[in-house]
Amino acid sequence: MSIENENTRRDFLKGAVTGLGFGTLATMGVFSYSSMRSFFLPQADRKMASFGACKSVKITNISETSWFDNATLMGDMKGAGGLLVDQYLYNWPPFGDGSGLAKGSYDKGMAKIKHLLPHKLEEAWEVVKTNSVHPENAGGFAALIEIERLDGVKKKYLLDSGWSYEWMDKAFKREGIDKMLANGEIEALILSHEHFDHFWGLPVTMKYAPNIKIIIPDGFYKEGLQYIKDSGHKGELVVFKKGKNDIEPGLCAYTFDVPIICRVFGEQSIFANVEGKGLVSISGCCHQGIIQFIATAKNELKYDNDQMYGIYGGLHISPFDDWDPKYDDLVISLGKWDFKTIGCNHCTGLLTAEKFVRAGYPVVKGTAQHRSKSHSYLGNGDTITFG
Amino acid sequence: METPLYLEERSLVKRFSGPLPILLNTIFVLALFYVTWWIFQDPRGIMRMYTPYVGYMWCRWLLVIMIWIAYIFDFWPFSRSWLRNTHPVLKGIVLTTLTVLLFAIVLKGFFETILGDYAIAYFSPERLQKEGVVEFWALEYSAQAILMFAAIASWLSPAWVVAMEGAPWDKLPQPVKGFSILMFTFFISVIVYFVAFHSHMAILFDPWQKFAAITPPWWENFADTVHGNFNIAWIMCCTVVVWLHETIWERYPFSMIENPWLRRTASFFGIIAIAVALSFFLYFAQELVWGEAIRGTKRDAAPDWRWLHVGEMAIFWLLPALYMHFYMKNGINRFSQTTNILLRTIASVLAAVVIYYVYYKTSHFFLGTQKGFSHPQQFPMIPLIWLINVMLINYWFMDGWPGWRLAQASEKAPVTHVSYSSATLSPSFYKGVIGGTLGGVVVYFVIIYMIPMMGSMLIIFK
Repeated sequence: MSIENENTRRDFLKGAVTGLGFGTLATMGVFSYSSMRSFFLPQADRKMASFGACKSVKITNISETSWFDNATLMGDMKGAGGLLVDQYLYNWPPFGDGSGLAKGSYDKGMAKIKHLLPHKLEEAWEVVKTNSVHPENAGGFAALIEIERLDGVKKKYLLDSGWSYEWMDKAFKREGIDKMLANGEIEALILSHEHFDHFWGLPVTMKYAPNIKIIIPDGFYKEGLQYIKDSGHKGELVVFKKGKNDIEPGLCAYTFDVPIICRVFGEQSIFANVEGKGLVSISGCCHQGIIQFIATAKNELKYDNDQMYGIYGGLHISPFDDWDPKYDDLVISLGKWDFKTIGCNHCTGLLTAEKFVRAGYPVVKGTAQHRSKSHSYLGNGDTITFG
Repeated sequence: METPLYLEERSLVKRFSGPLPILLNTIFVLALFYVTWWIFQDPRGIMRMYTPYVGYMWCRWLLVIMIWIAYIFDFWPFSRSWLRNTHPVLKGIVLTTLTVLLFAIVLKGFFETILGDYAIAYFSPERLQKEGVVEFWALEYSAQAILMFAAIASWLSPAWVVAMEGAPWDKLPQPVKGFSILMFTFFISVIVYFVAFHSHMAILFDPWQKFAAITPPWWENFADTVHGNFNIAWIMCCTVVVWLHETIWERYPFSMIENPWLRRTASFFGIIAIAVALSFFLYFAQELVWGEAIRGTKRDAAPDWRWLHVGEMAIFWLLPALYMHFYMKNGINRFSQTTNILLRTIASVLAAVVIYYVYYKTSHFFLGTQKGFSHPQQFPMIPLIWLINVMLINYWFMDGWPGWRLAQASEKAPVTHVSYSSATLSPSFYKGVIGGTLGGVVVYFVIIYMIPMMGSMLIIFK
């Protein structure tokens, strides 16, 4: 091959490689974010899985005040090293061992109270108070779900068991949950996730119903699984895997693989299909996001009138009185889902509830009693009925 | 007469034969990374700065200051003789300490005091606390604003040296050159900050600060979010492309332009164009694997997180590219320049995919982070930039110790500078460009056809 031909070949090759890069990058720029890209996107077929229907769902807010002073909680979080620190290390109640903030562990904390669980809770809480960081700030989240079946039979489920033994025991007694548990009226305790304010009050439920069926989402850490045993649970433990898990006709749980602050993983929330009305979403914290939750329902489930009907629970938007522009995305876009009734509280955040109201959404106001802070959302002791 | 940068004129030689230097430096860098991660960042460690924004701000700003020291000020006021004769470990300690001190001045002096106390409240945590924000969020909000400034500076500072070749101050002596470039890039960074992030910060507060900023932000409809992560996406891609351009791409193809100002302008804006194209593609890639984003959702389905993840994916690419450049002399050098660049690009992308997979599969076991793709406190940019910072300390400040050392005068290999030449722009070249461009279009569609299959093959979390 002559030198001239060789140079021509080299020049062509150099140009070809340069053009290859240019062509690839140019198409990336022109095509990737154009409307034409929708041709290549996976089409989500609605699976329309049926899970039955119920006549109505009534929810009693046993407690939505997980902690009473946000600045105190955030001060603990800052002092411990931020939102990623393992919740069992905080030395928060009930796992306080007296060593101070962020120096605790499940084992050291539990060793101080294990012998008192679940029946000597007052005594246990006195021990906890002397060894823990800010025990006075602990409250808890729990709700009673009463479902009326199509044949008129009513069934009860407890969603979460709160945090403070002292606060939750009072709240249970205030709403008569203690007697319902003791009488075996509650079918199961559904734990939404492993967070301190939903789960660490477990011995209070165990005090009244140690044989109750407990349903947890996949993802509990070993400390959490051990705590269920150490709390005195003697009944069936069911682990709901990722996706839809039927509870009874018209009621199902949905588990999400969702990473959560304070080293928690996985959350389950609940769907109810109310006959003639539509879908009701019930959540503990909804760390997966309320729109993710209802978008999942739209893709996966069949519900009456194809209507998103109601919401109850913590929506985990601005739980720490914080804000982020992505929350505005949620506030802006929630309207298009056309909910008829929104009963929010807890980790939804007061500012979010106020923004919902300003956006014209049908937020149910509360009575602001039993230490709930605002009328803008459903407070402790308030009830809401869908159907 | 323009003086070459110290990093360009120095010649490094291996202290040991074979792959030992690469192995030694890899172990050294990883060990230093892990020790410093544990001390400063790890949520289980000592200082626990990964809150996340405080730690994120620190690693971004340390990167920027290192760029200022090495690229903009060319190590001024340290003399060449000090740089050549001081032990690398001592140099590393002195220059890293200087980096931290300069950052402390920038943080406390410029951002928190001058801006925060006299201009814009959200730069000052104390000011935010006085307005009723709890201490934790006051620190997080101000750190967020300050790190967004760093994101811009970590693109523009090197871009002015690499793409604009330091012009028009390139022939001035230090520190005049350094201060000139610093002031100008800082000035542009301020403008870009106001356009790209001020609105994001303004809607952090209720009510939206509509008289002080554009609310909702101008990008809302285009990006499908009001979150500033849209701008993080293309700006992070700019940062990454600047360094690809400088390292494994050897400033090609803009080096073919002989006219200096045309070349500089084309390089500067070409980097932005490539970065924007890359950011659109990386967003699309996520849609191909996870489906369309849904506005208002959280985590990996949310548009704002998808844009953030664009920047995160770009950083996953930067890491192997820098490693190839620092410790493997760009890795592939046996073919023509363009073929080398193509093969390096492919190799670094494949390495990035592997690192991405390994990171998400394993990082929560040793970094104290949370498992899962998206999480408010899961920023792979923090550990990755922290690791890059450690690599820069090792390669820029320590001359590649322990595997490498500065060459003595007698063993100094000729330093190759980037040559700017259009000598090969023959008709054959243009024919090749046309054919290659068509091929590039085909390659693009083959890639997007394969991405969903790759996504289902590389399932990280079931």
